[in-house]
Amino acid sequence: MAALSSLNPKAFLALASSSGRPDLVSVNNGDPAELVKNAINALGGMEQFVSKGDQVIIKPNISWDRVPQQAATTNPTVVAEVVKLCFEAGAKNVVIFDNTLNEPRRCYKRSGIQKAAEDAGADVQYIYDRKFKTIRFPEGELIKSWEVYDEVLKADKLINIPAAKHHTVSGVSLGMKNLMGLIGGNRGRFHRNYDIKITDLNARIRPVLTVLDAYRVLLRNGPSGGNIADVELRKTLIAGTDPVAVDAMGASFFNLDPHNLNFLKLAQERGLGKIDISPGKMKKISLTS
Amino acid sequence: MRSLRRVFQVLFIFGFFVLFILTTFPLNSLIPVDLFLRIDPLIAFNTLLASHSFLIKMIPSIIVLVITIFLGRIFCGWICPLGTTIDACDKLPKEKLNKKTEQKKYRFTWIKYAVLIAVLTTALFSGPLAGYIDPIALYTRTVVTVFYPLFSFVVQGIFLLLYKVAFLENFLFKIEEILRGTLLPINPVYFQGSMVFAFLILAIFSTAYLTKRFWCRNLCPLGALLALFSRFRIYRRKVSDECTACQLCYKKCRMRAIKTDYKSTDHLECINCMDCQAVCPVDAVHFGFSSKSEKESFDLNRRRILGAGITGFFTFGLLRIAPVHTVKKGKVIRPPGSWQESAFLDRCIRCGECVRVCSTAGKGLQHAMFESGWEGFATPILLTPMGYCEYNCNLCGQVCPTGAIHPLPLEDKKELKMGTAHFDKTRCIPWYYGEDCLVCEEHCPTPDKAIKFRETHSVTIDGKQTNVMLPYVEELTCIGCGICTTVCPLEGNKGIYLTNTDEVRWEE
Repeated sequence: MAALSSLNPKAFLALASSSGRPDLVSVNNGDPAELVKNAINALGGMEQFVSKGDQVIIKPNISWDRVPQQAATTNPTVVAEVVKLCFEAGAKNVVIFDNTLNEPRRCYKRSGIQKAAEDAGADVQYIYDRKFKTIRFPEGELIKSWEVYDEVLKADKLINIPAAKHHTVSGVSLGMKNLMGLIGGNRGRFHRNYDIKITDLNARIRPVLTVLDAYRVLLRNGPSGGNIADVELRKTLIAGTDPVAVDAMGASFFNLDPHNLNFLKLAQERGLGKIDISPGKMKKISLTS
Repeated sequence: MRSLRRVFQVLFIFGFFVLFILTTFPLNSLIPVDLFLRIDPLIAFNTLLASHSFLIKMIPSIIVLVITIFLGRIFCGWICPLGTTIDACDKLPKEKLNKKTEQKKYRFTWIKYAVLIAVLTTALFSGPLAGYIDPIALYTRTVVTVFYPLFSFVVQGIFLLLYKVAFLENFLFKIEEILRGTLLPINPVYFQGSMVFAFLILAIFSTAYLTKRFWCRNLCPLGALLALFSRFRIYRRKVSDECTACQLCYKKCRMRAIKTDYKSTDHLECINCMDCQAVCPVDAVHFGFSSKSEKESFDLNRRRILGAGITGFFTFGLLRIAPVHTVKKGKVIRPPGSWQESAFLDRCIRCGECVRVCSTAGKGLQHAMFESGWEGFATPILLTPMGYCEYNCNLCGQVCPTGAIHPLPLEDKKELKMGTAHFDKTRCIPWYYGEDCLVCEEHCPTPDKAIKFRETHSVTIDGKQTNVMLPYVEELTCIGCGICTTVCPLEGNKGIYLTNTDEVRWEE
């Protein structure tokens, strides 16, 4: 249950802010692996998030049967690099899965994530229906209970690696939305009163680290995309411990004011994180090649 | 020789199942996965008559015909997977031989010729009988909808039981991960019609209680076709003078191909199972090449031929009158690349290869029951919302043995219009309830989404003023894949459904 609500969200944030390191890092102008290395390094290294012997779950976005160039899924090199850093920090094992929206083998294969992550030593698993367990969401406003994948319940740490994508209903599909790949049931129902439901989910499942891959950004026709013309090469990566702050910064790719995004406002009101993070807690790195 | 035959039977049926398992994404089998259907001369003849064209895909069937001309019905005895399964079932009843009833049953062998004539006549007049009773098509269909689902159900049940043993868990999960998507399905699959096809195959298997190989002797049209070609076979059963007329071989013969003098053989019926050679106590029976011509007469007369032809013609007629015109076909979505409906019905042999491969992708294809009329029974249709057509997939066309589904290049298939989606405004959440949803838009796979929306001022169902994104289908862009219907979060009737409006069918 460690990846879930063992930490009170407010206490968790207080803990994170007490150190002298930034809570939010944005790195740009590098290849995917360099972006990850520099971002995690600036956050104090993976050891801050993963302890020796931890069972880690990494949740990339593998939803669609699309190639990396179509930017509908997380960049495979980013995923592989996070896997490597987890093992270097002493993780016992790293499990990767996603409740995909197209046929899973195709998504795992075409996204390139299966191969990249397995080469880095991760255990890439398919979803099994029997492994969804209905759990209570005590803080949920509309979601009182839902089916959550039991690997999440068993793991010590959860690292969220979303892709930055356009999404019609929520405006953007970033870190908070990406957690929908951990749950089962009739997920389409999340789209009704989406803002409340996605905050309910994020109040219940709390990753220790969010790494937003914006190497390529899907600007239109998201979240499934398919048209290369809708993709822009941004060579950027945002990482942070505060999921709200990461998403708020990610909104800038789409020229959106995070204060106008309802789910972020709600999340801030509920104490899940901050939209505006103090400049001292934020670091921007530009790599020169 | 009998052991050799058994080895071959096991090898061939094993090969059949291996090819079946390989009928999945990624389709990277060196041997074509539909090989067994392509070596079937009856399917070749049927396709030839129905399409008035010769398919290169069917060349392997010529090899079978050539072999049959020299060796007789070795296909039935050594290769046919249905024959092998029937052999296994025939072991179930206690052996008994009542000479009188046996002789009675012997009289039915002519029926298979009648079936063959009926099948080929309907094919000529464009009617779809072959697929239902061709043994390979029938067997493939049964494996797809009955044997394999049962197998995976049982194996998964065993896994669940074993998982109760705690210390096995990690080890078992590793095995399950390897089997998933290979031996076991990637997702559980269910087929409408499983019960119907199960009853049919059970009926065939239970004829073991009548005679051995009842199906092969009396009903199988492929058996009849191969019998026609074995007329001049030179590889034959020969009995030497050591024969003591002990009747052992006569009693053992599964095809009742040994005549009552125990020495002469009905070469049209003999399937080279070699039982007679194996049981002969004095080693008098041998198989070998012989140039002595010994023509066999068919168990057919003019009246039976004519009768069968007329039956076939009327079957075709029956299928062509009432049902076609009394079924609304607007909701019948065919696989991408399918021929025009009547040409499609002629070419499709209802084998279920496409249904199998689709069950490992979008799970959209199912054997039709009566959705497209009686004459479309067991043909593949895209059945939403249980499944949809996977955008990056064109495997159904690649595994179709007769080209009823034309093998389209992936880029062409992605643009091919199978039908059109329509919103049901009395169900759709934004339209009816006035609340945002757009799950369909999120999943729409075309690069420029076919589901678009307009933001508009609206009133919720309980009267609140609101802004809502109202979805609509851009009909020219929609390809009719049906993923929108599958993912629509409404239970019961979905807020969006498919029709075959503006569908594009394959034409040469």
